[in-house]
Amino acid sequence: MIKLSPKNNSNVILELKNITKTYATGTNCFTALDNVNLKIHQGEFVSITGPSGSGKSTLMHIIGLLDNPTSGEVLLNGKDISKLKEHQLAQIRNVTLGFVFQQFNLLAKTSALENVLLPLLYSDVPKHQRQEIGLAFLKKVGLEDKIKNTPAQLSGGQQQRVAIARALVNNPQIVLADEPTGNLDSKSGADIMKFFHQLNEKEGRTIVFVTHDMDLAKQAKRTIVIKDGKVLEGKNA
Amino acid sequence: MLKPSFNDLIKSSFRSILKNKSRTILTSLGIIIGVTSVILLTSIGNGLKSYVTDQFDALGANSVFISPGKVFNDNGGFSQNSFAAAMVTNFTQKDLNLLNRKLKNSIVMPVNATYADIKSDKAIKKMVEIDGSTEDYGKSNNVVPSEGNGRWFTDEENNKKTPVVVLGYKIAETLFPNSSAVGKKVIIKGKTLKVIGVVDQKGSSFGGPSVDDAVYAPFSIVSDLAGNENINTFVVRAPTKGAIEPIKKEITKIMLERYDKDAFSVFDSSQLLSSINSIISVLTIALTGIAAISLVVGGVGIMNIMLVSVTERTREIGLRKAIGAYPRAILIQFLIEAIILSCFGGLVGVILGSLGALAINSFFPAKITISSVILAFSVSSAVGIIFGVAPARKASKLSPIEALRYE
Repeated sequence: MIKLSPKNNSNVILELKNITKTYATGTNCFTALDNVNLKIHQGEFVSITGPSGSGKSTLMHIIGLLDNPTSGEVLLNGKDISKLKEHQLAQIRNVTLGFVFQQFNLLAKTSALENVLLPLLYSDVPKHQRQEIGLAFLKKVGLEDKIKNTPAQLSGGQQQRVAIARALVNNPQIVLADEPTGNLDSKSGADIMKFFHQLNEKEGRTIVFVTHDMDLAKQAKRTIVIKDGKVLEGKNA
Repeated sequence: MLKPSFNDLIKSSFRSILKNKSRTILTSLGIIIGVTSVILLTSIGNGLKSYVTDQFDALGANSVFISPGKVFNDNGGFSQNSFAAAMVTNFTQKDLNLLNRKLKNSIVMPVNATYADIKSDKAIKKMVEIDGSTEDYGKSNNVVPSEGNGRWFTDEENNKKTPVVVLGYKIAETLFPNSSAVGKKVIIKGKTLKVIGVVDQKGSSFGGPSVDDAVYAPFSIVSDLAGNENINTFVVRAPTKGAIEPIKKEITKIMLERYDKDAFSVFDSSQLLSSINSIISVLTIALTGIAAISLVVGGVGIMNIMLVSVTERTREIGLRKAIGAYPRAILIQFLIEAIILSCFGGLVGVILGSLGALAINSFFPAKITISSVILAFSVSSAVGIIFGVAPARKASKLSPIEALRYE
C-alpha cells in the first residue's frame, strides 16, 4: 500500500516536470510531448485542448499513469511515480484516479451496477459494502432505475453516466475524462458537462478533461492549449 | 491478499465462459475425447485382467503344470524357444509312475494331445485337438458334463481302453446339428468311438483354442490314436493353495533327476496369470498413452481459444487495467477460465467414459477404477493450467493504452 498524503504547503495534486514523450516510427523519431510542465491543483476544473495530433491524448495518458514518459518526472502528491512497479501503478489508478472514456468502455452483457462495481473488485473495499456504494453512485448519476440494464439497453448518455459512476466509485482524487462527450449528441453532451460542473462545484472534485472542441474547453475554469507537443497557454499553469 | 477475491474471479470467469456456450463445448471437446478414451482404455485393460483371473480360477487355481521346454524366461516373460524345446522333450510313463509315487497328497494327471479329423454320419470336422487324460482331469479342469449331457469317462474305461469320447460343445453341434450327440458314434482315424458326454458351453477365451472346440478321450485311447505313449504335460492338483509352492519344489527335484533343467518347466496358474497380466498391462499403458496424446491436443485447442479470447477482449483487459487491475489479477482471471474449460471437459469426459465402460461391459470385460478416473481428471486439469498460462500471460502483459485503443 502506497501512502499518497497531500502536501500541506501547496495544494498541488499532480505535477509534470519536463515531460517529453517520443515515439520511434521506423527510422524517424516523433515527438508527441516536448518538455511539458504542468500542475494540477486540488479542486481544479481543467480542460486540455488542441488540434488532433497535438499530443493532448498522450498527455492525458501520462497524467493517468497509463503511459510512461520518455523523460521527465510525474509527481503525484509530491511523490515521483516513475520508479513504481506496474502493480503499484495499478493501485494508484484504482484508488486515486477515475477514468471516463470517449467510448464509455462498459463491459458488454454486464449490468450497469456490475459495471460500476468493477473498480471495487480490485480495491480493499469490503465486499458487503460494495453493493451499497455502487447503488449510491448510480443514484447520483440519476440511473437508480436502470441498475439491471446492460449497456445495450441504455442510451449513449446513460452509458456515459454509468461510466462516470464507475470512475467515482472509489472516491478518486482526480477524475480524468478523455473526450467524454465525443460520442454523444449535443444534448447528452451538455448534460454530461453539467454534471462535471456540479461535481466540481458542489463536491470540490478535481476534474481534468480532454477535448478538441474549443467551446467545450472554455467551459472549464482553466484551459490548457497544446500544439505540436508544447503547452501554448494556461492560466495559473 | 488476492484482489479480486478467489470467489469473485471464479464468478466472473464462469460468466464470461457462459457467454459463449457453443464455443465452450467445442473447446472442451478435445479434452472430453481424451479423458473419455483414457478411461475407456484403462477400464478395458482392467476388465481384461480380472476376466483372465476369473478364467484361471475356473480352470483350477490349485493346479501345477509340468511342461516340456522352458515356458518362462528368467524375467518372468514367455520364453522364445519354448516351442522348439517342446518338440524335443516328451515325458514318459516312467515319469508318471515316479511322480505318483513321490507326490502322495496330490493327484497327478498325464495329458497327451493329438490332432485328427473327426467324423459323424452327418459331418466332418478337420484337425481337432484330442486331449487324452484320466478321470480326475474332468473335475480338475471343470469340464465334466452337467446333468443331462452325459458323463466324463472313468479310470476303468481308461485302463480297459474302452473307445469312448467326450465332445466340446461346438464340436458336438457341428457333428450332430439337430440332435443330442450323447450315445452317437464318431470316427477318428478309422476308429469308432462312442460319445458319452458333451461339455457345457464355455465361450472362447480371446479367440484362442477353447474348451468348446476340444475333444476329450481316455489317455490310453489317445495314445493309440497318436501312435505313441508319450505324455505332453502333467497337471498336478495340489490339495490346497498353500501346498503349491512346496509341491513345485518337490516336482522340480524329482524331474531334475531325469532331465536337464532347461528341458522342462514347472509352473502354476498364478505364474501364467502374472505373465499374461503383465502383457495386458503393457498394452493398456501403451494404448492409454496414445489416448493421452489427444489430451495434449485438447490442451492446444484450449490454448488456441484462450488466445482468441484474449484478442477479442483486448479492450476489456485495457479497461480493467485502467481502472486498477494489476497484471497478476488479469493473469489469474484468464488462467481460471482455461482451468474451468479443461475441468469441464474432464468432468464430461469422466461421465462419458464411465457410461461407455458400463456399456462395453455388457459384451466385453471392462472395469472402471477410481485411480484411472482421478488420473484422467487430474491430467486434464493440469493440461488446462499448462496451456492456459501462455494466453493468460499475454493478457496480463498488454499495455493498457494499446489495449484500450484496440479496435
